[in-house]
Amino acid sequence: MAKTVGLLLAGLVACYGLNWFLAEFIEVVYVDYLNLIGIAIVLAVGLNVINGLTGQFSLGHAGFMAIGAFVAGLVSIQLTYGEMSSGPLELAGLGTFLLSLLLAGLAAAVLGVVVGAPALRLKGDYLAIATLGFAEITRILLTAQDSLGGPTGIKRIPKMPLLPGTGAWDGGTSVFWIFLVVFTIVLFSARLQRSTYGRALIAIRENELAAETMGVRAARMKVMAFVYGAFFAGIAGGLYAHYQHSVRPDDFTSIRSIEVVVMLVLGGLGSITGAVLGAVAVTLVPQLLRPLEEQLQVNGLSMVVYALLLILMMIFRPQGIFGQRELSLKLFRRILPGGRK
Amino acid sequence: MRYALTLLIALTALFSASLTGCKDKGNDAGGGGADEIRVGVFLSLSGANADFGKTTKNGIDLAVEEINEAGGINGKKLVIIAKDTRSKPEEAQTVAKQLASQDKVAVAIGSVESGQSIKAAPVFQEAGIPMVSPSSTNPDVTKQGDRIFRVCYLDDFQGQACAAFAYKDLGFRKAALIYAQDDDYSKGLAQYFREAFKGMGGSIVEEAPFQGDVSEFKDQVSKIAAAGPDVIFAPVYYAKIGLIARDFRKQGVTVPLVGGDGWESPQLIQLAGETLEGSYFGYHYDPDDQDAKVQGYLKAYSAKFGSDPNSLSALGYDAVYAVKLAIELGGGSSADQITEGLRKIKDFKGVTGTFSIDENRNAKKSITMLKIGGSNLSKVKVIKPEDLK
Repeated sequence: MAKTVGLLLAGLVACYGLNWFLAEFIEVVYVDYLNLIGIAIVLAVGLNVINGLTGQFSLGHAGFMAIGAFVAGLVSIQLTYGEMSSGPLELAGLGTFLLSLLLAGLAAAVLGVVVGAPALRLKGDYLAIATLGFAEITRILLTAQDSLGGPTGIKRIPKMPLLPGTGAWDGGTSVFWIFLVVFTIVLFSARLQRSTYGRALIAIRENELAAETMGVRAARMKVMAFVYGAFFAGIAGGLYAHYQHSVRPDDFTSIRSIEVVVMLVLGGLGSITGAVLGAVAVTLVPQLLRPLEEQLQVNGLSMVVYALLLILMMIFRPQGIFGQRELSLKLFRRILPGGRK
Repeated sequence: MRYALTLLIALTALFSASLTGCKDKGNDAGGGGADEIRVGVFLSLSGANADFGKTTKNGIDLAVEEINEAGGINGKKLVIIAKDTRSKPEEAQTVAKQLASQDKVAVAIGSVESGQSIKAAPVFQEAGIPMVSPSSTNPDVTKQGDRIFRVCYLDDFQGQACAAFAYKDLGFRKAALIYAQDDDYSKGLAQYFREAFKGMGGSIVEEAPFQGDVSEFKDQVSKIAAAGPDVIFAPVYYAKIGLIARDFRKQGVTVPLVGGDGWESPQLIQLAGETLEGSYFGYHYDPDDQDAKVQGYLKAYSAKFGSDPNSLSALGYDAVYAVKLAIELGGGSSADQITEGLRKIKDFKGVTGTFSIDENRNAKKSITMLKIGGSNLSKVKVIKPEDLK
């Protein structure tokens, strides 16, 4: 416990340092990429617990994110302006911001239970289709709500709160908040993976019947995995809402769900390191190809290169970049000469 | 547990190392050097709506070429920095950040899709850069900040104008509606038409919304046919109107259809010419207008791109000239001066009509009702904003 708290504090300081460094020296454009990557990491690492660790193929992550984004956006708007309105953006109060994220996570987690429950009955492709359906239902219901702005969604979501010592620079404190969540989810997921619960989830993935025979309560564990993934997807949605300042139901189409699955498969299903790397690659590749596109005046080139990378990847390394392995200090020690074996 | 931390450090190191773009302080947004004015453009140049972006870009390029050939604005040349939003609203925000902080543009033009404009607006607003949307008609767009402008009419005006046209000019009293429920453009237009038509004393006898990308409208059509309307308002895009009209004619419904600018396309006649015979739609300008400005634009466009222009290219073209006028009115090419200039635009004569920028930063302009007859379009009436008051 003390160690976890220590690590979280270290993460807090590291994120603050990162935010300060970027604000001071790096162009906003790159900070923007980093923020998008951070949100993608939270989604991917969360989904990894469902898809990678527990082996429950979910295609509904965008649905959880959508709920989180709308809940966080509405809470923040309500508490900051009192009503939906137009005008310049304002800063959300620290309490408002944290409360909105928490509620976003909780709302998504409740939906995780709802979606996790049928997961007890469905397996494999069937579950994938059911979760996909859930995400689409969420999106269509949100689109139909005129009080939530209908297809154009909610606007004027306040900015993330500032911290002592950070000025109102272009990127604000988004890096700090987003990477604090990234750090937290990576830490928790790493812990989870090595805990009794994590082992139980892996056992379910490998052989559900055998796991149940050994006393693992598969049904309960599967719902737990969904709730865990959904909670963080909700928070990712909340961060996204505060970062983009407006969210629309169409930001959360099935394409986004699939994108998160691609991140996992690319990085290595079941590996946290893989999920992180997959999130970085899937977010960054289309952006890094942008200058090339502009140089050659071929728009849409990035999508071709991106698809090609995926195909090559699946041919030559179907298990993903990391497979189920993780990157850790131990690995470095093993590689370095004279290190402990 | 340590790898959580390792990962963060490794990631940061990797990322920082790959960065070449360090912050260059001091050079704040001034919109380029002494002899150029940097204009950011963000449009869907690839992806599902690439057609929107490309035709708008053509109009913008044409206007910029003309201005630069004539010596620029106060001796300064316009430089276009075009970014592709890949048909995604989210990417519009990313490229807006690039235009604002990296390219340091003085003014931004974009986008066609209201969703993209709404996502990009806060970025430019925060950066103090004026943004001019050529053709986002959703009322919410310009509400995003006091530096967000547009040069097209709004969905509410469009819906009201169509209602007034159907009621007063065509003399119809019973209208039916068919529209896409999950599309803000279609739904918005239907809503404004409904309110205005009822307000004038007409009645909406039937409503048949549809959802999603469908190509069969039998159910909606028979529902409307049973109600026996005089006129059908169908605010949909051109790809759909052909199919809708076909289904109506198949079931023997011959009353005219009325629609908005979404109908417009070089393929409209080809897709639905016969079935839409005798129908009307509201449009940004009259292609047969003998006005020198319109004809000059049409000729120059065809000569440069080898194809017929559409309303999007005309609005892109007008957006550039509105920016030019704003620079002249504002007395300079800084972001603040252009913003001031845009606010002062009065009776600007563009290809898409004469307009002024009102206090809500929207263009107050007229709508041209066109009639489809055989293989051509003819102007029936021009409805001005003051006509509706």
